Amino acid sequence: MKSLIVLCLLLQLTFCKTNTDTIDKNIVNAKIDRKIDISSHLVKTSTSVTLENKGTSPVRSFLFSVEPLLKNSIAFIGASSKDDKEKLDVSLTTVAGHSDKTFYRVTLRSALDGGKTTVVELEAIFSHILRPYPSEIAQAEKQLVVLEANLYFYSPYPTTSQTTTVVTTSSNVESYTKTKPVSQSDTSIIYGPYEDKSAFAEAPLKVHEENNSPFLTVTSMERVVEVSHWGNIAVEEHIDMTHTGASLKGSFSRFDYQRQQDGLASIKTFKTSLPASARDVYYRDEIGNISTSHMREMDESVEVELRPRFPLFGGWKTRYFLGYNVPSYEYLFFKDEHYALKMRFIDHIYDDMVVDKMQLRIILPEGVKNIELKIPFEVERQGDQVHYTYLDTLGRPVVVLNKNNLVEQHIQDFELHYTFQRLLLLQEPLLVVGAFYLLFLVVIIYVRLDFAITKDEAKESRMRVAGFIDEVQNAHDRRSALYQSYDDAINKFKSSKDAAAFSAGRKKIDADYKQLTQQIQNIQAQLKTEGAEASEKVAELQRLDSLYKEQVGLAIMAAEKLVAGKMGRQQYLDAEAATTSKCDDTYKKMESLRATL
Amino acid sequence: MLDVELMSRYVSPINPAVFPHLTIVLLGIGIFFMAWFFVYEVTSTKFARDLLKELVVSLVASIFMGFGVLFLLLWVGIYV
Repeated sequence: MKSLIVLCLLLQLTFCKTNTDTIDKNIVNAKIDRKIDISSHLVKTSTSVTLENKGTSPVRSFLFSVEPLLKNSIAFIGASSKDDKEKLDVSLTTVAGHSDKTFYRVTLRSALDGGKTTVVELEAIFSHILRPYPSEIAQAEKQLVVLEANLYFYSPYPTTSQTTTVVTTSSNVESYTKTKPVSQSDTSIIYGPYEDKSAFAEAPLKVHEENNSPFLTVTSMERVVEVSHWGNIAVEEHIDMTHTGASLKGSFSRFDYQRQQDGLASIKTFKTSLPASARDVYYRDEIGNISTSHMREMDESVEVELRPRFPLFGGWKTRYFLGYNVPSYEYLFFKDEHYALKMRFIDHIYDDMVVDKMQLRIILPEGVKNIELKIPFEVERQGDQVHYTYLDTLGRPVVVLNKNNLVEQHIQDFELHYTFQRLLLLQEPLLVVGAFYLLFLVVIIYVRLDFAITKDEAKESRMRVAGFIDEVQNAHDRRSALYQSYDDAINKFKSSKDAAAFSAGRKKIDADYKQLTQQIQNIQAQLKTEGAEASEKVAELQRLDSLYKEQVGLAIMAAEKLVAGKMGRQQYLDAEAATTSKCDDTYKKMESLRATL
Repeated sequence: MLDVELMSRYVSPINPAVFPHLTIVLLGIGIFFMAWFFVYEVTSTKFARDLLKELVVSLVASIFMGFGVLFLLLWVGIYV
């Protein structure tokens, strides 16, 4: 794998010409209108570039450059055409002979013919450029920051005319570079127009102003997305944040802070927007829940107002976890076995956020295969990891993505495609079923083990007798049920007068009856060998049973006679009454005997 | 790679709204069979035990307990 990467790099260096460009001498920036916004802790520049093609051949793309000093601070670059506001493709590139600078190639939507002009809007966001000056302030002091930038638009092409507007936080500006022509009004300083500057022109631009906006930086964060095919996606963000403004000089007085409402540059609270479907939101840190938060459900989002355990002053840090659940139908899509997770790479943390380092971990269900990632910007994909949680066997695959220096413009969707067999969902319940069954099997085996050192014959015998009595009772209950069957058969015979069916039915009952009686007989013999008194009771039971059977025999005979016409109706009724009363009598005796076994 | 536009939204095979009911019903049945099994194990003597009955009752108990516990986990928010 490693050698493959080296080979790729070599190929790229030697043969691959796609990422190297040359500066087209025919392009001229006819008019530049640049706005540098320093009203937050970010530096946001938006530049309207009027490109002119002075040559004859059409131009498809142009280059945009960043000063060598700023190339590490650039967080985001975007371009759009002025006419239709459509986004243009921006890609990192290099130019031979200018290795110290960073170049971006912006591809135009339609080729620019010779002599024509077009207007492109460029947007660039820089983080950590505004330097607090003084770098240390007391609790009640205001925060002042310095912007040091280039007075001219930094471009590989010559610029004919340019103006630059610096938007400050307030009208409270300590000092600013006064390269004429310049004018200041309220919250903006306007430089220019400056005429005819060469390519890569540079001149110092320094603005020193009061800026009490929250200099809040997420120094590192981990966003964990856990996908469950039982219909839930759990999101948890572990956030380390620091106040990167002027650090606090001297001690912190809670009294002054409460009384005078000072600490202008400190951060008391901030707002996070979560997806509208977020449920079970929690805000906590290592020692538990942080109770100072408020949640408001709005139409388009859930707004959480977070107040850290203490206000953040310059140089102070805090760390917290924010988690929530969203239903799977919001972000998970499927077709047959193919699934796609489409959700935000990073979500809103606070307005004008800066994230220095971020790791996104996507935990997929067990058994997921063929993972493919699609993402609108470049990220570093670490090798997949394995995560173990409840009811896992082989572990869940985790896709790990890293990216540095993110801002609000990076709130974009990624797509993660994978395949998953639906039947694998059953693995988890079956695992629990198996565990329970194993427990029961252990119990079944355990009760069969005998740890006694000596054999207690008397106890054994008692247990055996108890077992036999159980069997007798069971057999007797079944036999009692057969008595009922006899009755039913007789009644049926009397109404249907079908002798053949009756004798067939009787035979079947007789067979069952004989078998049960024999069984009880055998047990009685075994009980006798055990020398148990129950043996006599069982013998008595057998005697009562034969009495009962006798009566049943009489009843059958009477019924047969009645059906054959050899017995009168009245006579039969008398005989039936006699047998029934005798049967009831015997039955009661047997039941009481059975209970006392 | 399939286009997301062509896919349909994924919903749970079992509506999360019925997790509590499923939990209570399945665990109720499961606990009944489990209790039956344990009572049988401790009350029957070694001469009166029926292995088949033990295996069947414990199998039924473990199936209901297994699914019941799973839905209990899902109900309380442990999305396994």
